[in-house]
Amino acid sequence: MNTPLFSASLVAFALTLYVLLDGFDLGVGCLLLFERHERVRDHMMDSITPTWDGNETWLVMAAVVLFAAFPISYGVLLPALYLPVVVMLLALGVRGVCFEFRTQIQDLRGYWDIVFAVGSAIAALMQGMILGAMLQGIDVKGNAFGGRVTDFATPYSFLCGVTVLCAYAILGAGWLRYKGTAILHSFSLRAITTLIPIFVLMFGTASVLSLRVQPAIVAVWHQDSLWLGTLVAIMLFNCLWLLSAGRSRSDFYPFLSALVLVAAGVVGLMVIIFPNIVPFRIALWDAASSSLSQIFVLVGACAVIPVVLGYSFFAYWVFRGKTPREGWDA
Amino acid sequence: MNLDPGILARTQFAFTVTFHIIFPTMSIGLAGFLAIVEGLWLKTKDEIYLQVYRFWLNIFAMGFGIGVVTGIVLSFEFGLGFARFAQFAGPAIGPLIAYEVLTAFFLEAGFLGIMLFGMHRVGKNLHFISTCMVALGTLISASWILSANSWMQTPDGVQMKDGKLVVINWWHVIHNPSWLYRLPHMIAAAYLTASFLVAGIGAYYLLRRRHTSFARRSVLLGTTMTSILIVGQVFIGDVLYGVMLKHQPSKMEAAEGFWEKQSSSPAPYYWLIVPDQKEQRNRFALGTPYLGSIWLAHSIHGRVEGLKNTPRELQPRMAMVFYGFRVMYCIAIVMFGVACAGLWLRWKRRLFTTPWFLRVLVLMTPSGIFATLGGWYLAETGRQPWVIFGMLRTVDAVSPVPAKTLLSTLIAFVCLYTLFMTAFLIFIGRIIKRGPQEIGTQVETFSSLKHAFRLGVLDKKTLESTGGAR
Repeated sequence: MNTPLFSASLVAFALTLYVLLDGFDLGVGCLLLFERHERVRDHMMDSITPTWDGNETWLVMAAVVLFAAFPISYGVLLPALYLPVVVMLLALGVRGVCFEFRTQIQDLRGYWDIVFAVGSAIAALMQGMILGAMLQGIDVKGNAFGGRVTDFATPYSFLCGVTVLCAYAILGAGWLRYKGTAILHSFSLRAITTLIPIFVLMFGTASVLSLRVQPAIVAVWHQDSLWLGTLVAIMLFNCLWLLSAGRSRSDFYPFLSALVLVAAGVVGLMVIIFPNIVPFRIALWDAASSSLSQIFVLVGACAVIPVVLGYSFFAYWVFRGKTPREGWDA
Repeated sequence: MNLDPGILARTQFAFTVTFHIIFPTMSIGLAGFLAIVEGLWLKTKDEIYLQVYRFWLNIFAMGFGIGVVTGIVLSFEFGLGFARFAQFAGPAIGPLIAYEVLTAFFLEAGFLGIMLFGMHRVGKNLHFISTCMVALGTLISASWILSANSWMQTPDGVQMKDGKLVVINWWHVIHNPSWLYRLPHMIAAAYLTASFLVAGIGAYYLLRRRHTSFARRSVLLGTTMTSILIVGQVFIGDVLYGVMLKHQPSKMEAAEGFWEKQSSSPAPYYWLIVPDQKEQRNRFALGTPYLGSIWLAHSIHGRVEGLKNTPRELQPRMAMVFYGFRVMYCIAIVMFGVACAGLWLRWKRRLFTTPWFLRVLVLMTPSGIFATLGGWYLAETGRQPWVIFGMLRTVDAVSPVPAKTLLSTLIAFVCLYTLFMTAFLIFIGRIIKRGPQEIGTQVETFSSLKHAFRLGVLDKKTLESTGGAR
């Protein structure tokens, strides 16, 4: 049985959910910088406070499945991406505690909000840079990282970082339209119409550059052009649709469209990286742990993930509908 | 300056994990405490329980938040600082932690939102279930993480094939020889920590004559739980001592502070030592005569085995192990004394009116945290020089990351975590100063218990409504 493939699908599943779910709440965090009124910022925060913790757990899930099923790649990738990962963790930490801290003091809330927004933005940027660093290639010697810790920092990876930041902000804006009351509508609309052109520009440049930076990506394009072409078409369609989101009568469709946009991007990246687990260097079968370890994790995952999805959905359902203007206690 | 990446990676891990464990210890204990209190409230309809619940929920939420974000760091740190450990042990440890995420983290995260913000949306009973689910999540989480850590202490169920670690029996990996002793020890430690927190804050209010009914209930709940728990904890600790003596003699040799293969007879029980690892002797030692023989060898003239029984290159650093153990042990003795005094005063009906006892309780507020840290220092430094006892040495586990990079991220962690701790302590201070919200007035204003059930967000609104005039 091809257990490493199943384990890799599990990592991919967890990562996709992470990007979509934490993507919007990191995005809401970044957008906090652009809202001057504290009451409105409270409202934006209220929309994500009950569920952010669960969203972030998918990142831990992806990391530990990688650790359990592909220890070789876990041990290569983390030293290689040491700096952006640590900065991301610090940023996620800062923004995580802000959820609690900002409710504690009225008078300093403005400062905590800036810290929260900057933390969210840095975390998003670092995730994009991690992606960029993987796409541009990691120096592997034997089963260990053989390069320097600063290898990740290139204009290309920075460009990827900004692209991801934009994508998350678009998700965040869509979420605010979906969960926010009317006071957030025009804000969300302005955010989406400003961000989409920037995103298209960044994404386009990054895509073209990646063909120069990483020859392996050219090969993937030759091989899977139909797949990748379709995904890019889906992304462009959603970008166009989102530009006219103001005309949408439903408050949910813009968010859905943003989700599809980002999901298409994530799937595209997976098409590019597959069948490697350390991009273009180590295939997933070469990094896998023994099959008993894989099976143990997979059995648990198959048994538990449906339950997890069930009560995670329940948690969202409890807080369904528009976020109350006066917070969840009113 | 010549920096060693190994030392720095270890320092960074030690720092981040030390900081982290403070918060889960509180969360495990407080989650259980909150579940009990909410249950009592539902059963008795006594509003003081609700007041206690709301007060501690605030503090729990903050501690839990810090625990979550510092915990995420750890799930990456195996790879960041100890890539070779990750690659070697991933097949055995990885799945245990994956199960922790699957069965515990999601459970906690899913129901935490409802526990904190959902009272108005789901009603009392479902809310109580959510609290129980969060408490259960913390216990499951502790089970897996203790299993993983115990596997590193007493590895089992694996084999080496072509230089690779292969699991041959999962049950033996999970249920390794020390797991079921160390797990109840940690859980009892967490509940003790919470009990002393609750009793300490209650005593503080009683001494100030503020919030008397709330304070009495807190002291009563706290001291009841400590009295039950400390007896169990001392017993579990004693059994665990025997288990570790069998599996990791080097750790227990270091923990007692003796060097010679056989100590003098009768052996003293050391309280203070200045060990010299190079010379393999104590430069200074202060102890109680005969007590070592009685406690450790269970006879008047028994001898105790010293660290020289372990080859020099496989010895842990005695000072760290010894003082980790002593901190835990001494605090446990004081806890035991406090629990006995509490029972006596309760029998005499002077539990709430004995100032010296209340002052001791206030002093003991953070005692559980320090005892837990001491215990973990004993466990982790005593395992050295191994990262997986008998299988992989710590020096062979380190990542190929340069020392300067490790040093800079270590400084970043220290700065940020200091900020977290400062903010946490300041906010706790403010919550304590503000005191619990008086239930009676709330119920009058809103005429519904549902509205009485409010969290930190309430303060913002009360502030806004009162500050509206400004």
